Amino acid sequence: MAKYGFLIDASRCIDCRACLVACSVENNVPMKSTRIWIKDSGVTGEFPNLERHTAPFHCMHCIDPSCVSACTVGALQKNEDGIITYDNEACIGCRYCMYACPFEVPHFEWDQQFALITKCDLCVSRLGDGEAEPACAATCPTDAIQFGKREDMLAMAHNRIKDESSRYVDHVFGEHENGGTSTFYISPVPFEQLGFPSTETMESPAHFNRIATEEGTPIIAVGAAIGMTGIYLAIEHNQKKNGTDKIEHVETKHDSAGKE
Amino acid sequence: MTKTISRRDFLKISAASVGALAVGQMLPPMVAKAAKESGVLNAAGDGVISTMCEMCVWRCGVLAKIKDGRVVKLDGNPEHPHSNGNLCPRGQSGLMNTYDPDRVLTPLIRVGKRGEGKFREASWEEALDLVASKMTEIKNKYGAEAMVFSSTHNLSQPLFENLLYAFGSPNYGTQRSLCFNAMIVANTMTYGMEEPARIYDDKLKYILLTGRNLLEAISTSETSDLSHAIDRGAKVVYLDPRYTKTASKATEWLPIKPGNDLAFHLALLHIIIGEKLYNRSFVEKNTVGFDELKKEVSRYTPEWAAALTGITAETIARIAHEFADAAPHALAHNGWRTSNFVNSFHTQRAISILNALIGNWDIVLTESGGEESGALGAPPQPAYPRVSALRLDGVPWKYPVVPFKIGVFQELRDNIVSGDPYQAHGWFISRQNPVMSIPDRSKTLEAFGKLDFIVTVDIVLNDTAWFSDVVLPEASYLERYDPLLPFGDKVFLRQPVIEPQGQAKSALWIYKQLGERLGLSDYFQYEDEEDYIRQQLKPLGVTLEEVKAKGYAEAPETPHAGESAEKRWNTPSGKIELFSDTLAKVGFSGVPTWDEPPQPAEGQFYLLTGKVAQSTQFGTQNNQLLNKYSDEPRMWINAQVAAKLDLATDDWVEVTSEVGQIHIPVLVTQAIRSDCVFMTPGYGHLSKGLTTAYGVGASDSVLHVTYTDPISGGQALSQTFVTVKKVEDESSAETLKPLYSGE
Repeated sequence: MAKYGFLIDASRCIDCRACLVACSVENNVPMKSTRIWIKDSGVTGEFPNLERHTAPFHCMHCIDPSCVSACTVGALQKNEDGIITYDNEACIGCRYCMYACPFEVPHFEWDQQFALITKCDLCVSRLGDGEAEPACAATCPTDAIQFGKREDMLAMAHNRIKDESSRYVDHVFGEHENGGTSTFYISPVPFEQLGFPSTETMESPAHFNRIATEEGTPIIAVGAAIGMTGIYLAIEHNQKKNGTDKIEHVETKHDSAGKE
Repeated sequence: MTKTISRRDFLKISAASVGALAVGQMLPPMVAKAAKESGVLNAAGDGVISTMCEMCVWRCGVLAKIKDGRVVKLDGNPEHPHSNGNLCPRGQSGLMNTYDPDRVLTPLIRVGKRGEGKFREASWEEALDLVASKMTEIKNKYGAEAMVFSSTHNLSQPLFENLLYAFGSPNYGTQRSLCFNAMIVANTMTYGMEEPARIYDDKLKYILLTGRNLLEAISTSETSDLSHAIDRGAKVVYLDPRYTKTASKATEWLPIKPGNDLAFHLALLHIIIGEKLYNRSFVEKNTVGFDELKKEVSRYTPEWAAALTGITAETIARIAHEFADAAPHALAHNGWRTSNFVNSFHTQRAISILNALIGNWDIVLTESGGEESGALGAPPQPAYPRVSALRLDGVPWKYPVVPFKIGVFQELRDNIVSGDPYQAHGWFISRQNPVMSIPDRSKTLEAFGKLDFIVTVDIVLNDTAWFSDVVLPEASYLERYDPLLPFGDKVFLRQPVIEPQGQAKSALWIYKQLGERLGLSDYFQYEDEEDYIRQQLKPLGVTLEEVKAKGYAEAPETPHAGESAEKRWNTPSGKIELFSDTLAKVGFSGVPTWDEPPQPAEGQFYLLTGKVAQSTQFGTQNNQLLNKYSDEPRMWINAQVAAKLDLATDDWVEVTSEVGQIHIPVLVTQAIRSDCVFMTPGYGHLSKGLTTAYGVGASDSVLHVTYTDPISGGQALSQTFVTVKKVEDESSAETLKPLYSGE
C-alpha cells in the first residue's frame, strides 16, 4: 500500500494560519487545543537587515513511531498507509506518548481533568470521504504544505534543494530524524533556527521505548496520571488568575522580537 | 470570557447525534432546506453546496461539505477564480461566523440609554413599522436628506441604493474613503477605471509593492499569485516602514519614511523619463500629457528623494533601471494602506503612470470586469426621484472628483456633528461598524448624539448596533441569497447552506419589507430572494436550479470600453491620462506633484495601522476560531527606542494623540522604523454584546485624527502622530473626550 507523505516548505509559509483554522474545523479540535503550531524564528538581525522564517508543524507520522511503542493500551496505532491514528475511546490519559515523542507532538488538553491527547491523524476521515488532501494542505494559499505519496514528496524535497541551492539549506528534515518520518521539511535556514528539535543525536528511540514500555509503563502511567491531575489543577488556577483562554499556537525561537 | 462548550460536553452531545463532527463548539448545523430541495445531496444527505465567502470583500468561491444532512466543512472552490481551491484563515472560520454565540436572533428595540446595551426583543412587524415610521417622520419634518444611509461594499448594495435613492436622500456613506479612495480616484483619472486587473503570469519578472502587504492583507488568489511569482524567481521590491510578512519574502525591503512614497515614485518617473527608459511607441500612441509630466518631474532627482525617503539615490536609480529593464513584465502595484497621507492621491497617480510609461497594458495590467453585467436581467423599477439637497460628505461641492458611489465617509460624520450645510436626524446603517471604522471615535459618538434615530442591520451586536435604537438581525452569508456576482464570463451565486438562525433575514427581504412600508414597493418588484435571482437569470435562459447545482452560470461578458470602439480607456481623451484636464479644470495639478507631508514633532511617532491575516477590518474579532489563532494585539515599537524608554515586551504604555488616549502593551521589535509605532486595527470594542472581542486590545480609531486628502477624499490614516509613555497599571484609559452620554 502506498504511504502518504507531506512536504512543508518554510520558504513558502506566510504564517497566515489558514491551516490551523482548517484543521480545527475539519477535526473538531476543541477551542483550547490545536493540532498544528507555527514554528517561528522570530525577527532576527539588526534593522534593516532582518530575517524571519515560519513553518506549520504537526505530527511527523514516523516510520517507526515512538508514541505507538510507548502506548500501553493501543490507543495510538500505525496504519499501513503510514498514518498514526489515535483512538480516544482507548486512551487512558497516561501521557506517556508525550514523553516518547521526540518532536513534542502529542499535546494534552491540560484544562481537562481527564485529559485526552490531540494530534494530527492526517484527516483520516476526510481522506476516507474521498478528498485528495488533508484540510491543511488543501487550503494553503501558497502551497507551502503539499501532500501526496511519501516517495514523491521526498523526491520533490530533494529536487527543490537541488534546483535552488541558494534558497534552501541542504537538509530534508524528517528524512532521517527519529529513524525517518512521513513529513518532510525544507527551509532557507537551519532547522534549529526555526525552533525544530535538534536532530544531531536523534535516532529511532522506538526500540528503547518498547523495553521501557514492557517493563515499566503501567506504574509510570499511574504515577504520571496522578501527577498530571496536579498540573491540570495548577493550569486551571493560573488560567483563572490570568483570565486567559488563549492557546499557545506560535512557538517563537527568539523571544525578543517578532512574536506579534 | 469566551463562551465555549468543553470537549467532554461536546462529545456527550455528539455521541447522541449521529454522524460527523464540525466546529468544536456547536453541533454540526443542519443543511438549509433550499439546498436540500435543490437536489445536490444524495439520499444519505451527503453532498456539496457551492456558494461564496463573505469574510472579506474578495468573495472566494466556497464549497460547503454536507455529511448526513449537516454542514461539516467549508473548502475553497477550485473552479472559482478568487479561491482556486484555497481559503484564507478567515474563510476557513466561516461556520463560526454563522454560529457565533453572540448572534442577534430577533429584532431588538432599545429600552435603556444609548450605549447601555439594554434592548428588548421585538417582532419583525413591530421593528420594521417602527423604523419606517421614524424614517417617515424625519422625512416629513426635515426632508429626506436628513436621513443618512451607509453600508459597506456588498452584493445586496444595489437594493440598499434603491432604498436610499428612492427614499430621496443623497447621503450615502461607504467605507471606501477610509481605505483606498486615493487609489480608486487616481486610477479613474488615469485609466478611466477604479482598479485595473493585474496579471501574474510566468513572464512577470519585477513587482514593486508600495505598502501593499499582500501576504498578510490576504486576497486569496492574488496572495497565491504573488507567492508563486516569488517561487518562480520574480524580484519583489517592497516599500513599508514595517518589516511585515511580505517584507520577509520580498527580495528587497525598503523601510521608507512614512508620507514620502510620493517622493520615491516621482524620482522613479524622473529617471525613467529623463533617461528615456520608457516605451516611446506605447506612450505616443496611448497616452496624453507626456510633455506636462516630463516638465513637472524634471525637478524630482533621486538625490532630492533620498533626503525625504531615507532610501539612497543609488538605490532609487537602480530600482528605476531594474523596473524599466524588466518592462513590460514589471508591475508597480497600487498599494493602499500603509502610508496614507493627504498627498496619497498623487502617490497613486505616480504609480499608475509608472505602469503606463513602460507599456505593460494588457500584459501586466488590464481592464477589470466590474460587478455589473449587461447580460443580467433585473426587476423593473421607476427612475429615482430628483434630489436637490447637497450631500453632507462634500461630494461634489467640496470634493469635485470623488465618485458619488464612493463618497467621503469621515466628512459625512463631521458634518453630522457640525450640522452644516444642514442637520441630519437619522442614520440607517447596514453591515458596517462606523463607531470603530471612522477615525476619532469620540467624534463619531458625538455625531450619534445629534441624531434622533439610528438603526443598524448586522448579524451580531457590533459597536454601532450597541449604540443604535433598533437592531435588525441579518442572515449570515451562509444563510442567505444575495444578488448574482458577474465575474469574467460567468455569474456566481451565493446561496443558503444553513437555515437562518432565529429570525434572521436576508438583506433582500429586509430592504423590500422596509421599501413597502415606506411606499416604495415599485423599487422592490420581486416576491422573494429566489424570484429576484430568477429575474436576473431570465435573459441567460438558465434556471435557478441549474445555477444552484453548479454555483455559477455562463454569461457573455459585457463589452468593455476598450473592445467597443477606438476608445480603449474611459477617460475624457479616451487615452491614458498622464496629464488630467479634469483635475486641472477644478484647480488641482493635472500631473503628479510634490506635496510635503506633515511630520511628527520631537518625541512623537507616526501611528501606523495595517491588516493581519486573521481578521478583516472591524468585524471578525468576535469569531472564536479567529480569536483562537490571533496574536495578542500589542503595539509595535522599535527595539532601540524601547530601550531608551525603558520598555520591554508586554510593558504597558499610554499612547496619546490629538484626539484620544489608550493603554496598550507593547511588542519590542526590530521590525519597525524608530519613528513609527504600529497597531492592528479592530480591537478595543465598546460593545459588550461581543463577548469574545470585548475587553481585548485597544482601538486605533480612538487615536486617529481626521485628515482628508483634498482630491480623493481619502482619510490620511498614517498622518496621526502620538506620544508614548510607560505606565505601571494595566487599566484602560478613558479617551480624552468623554464618551457619548446622551439619550
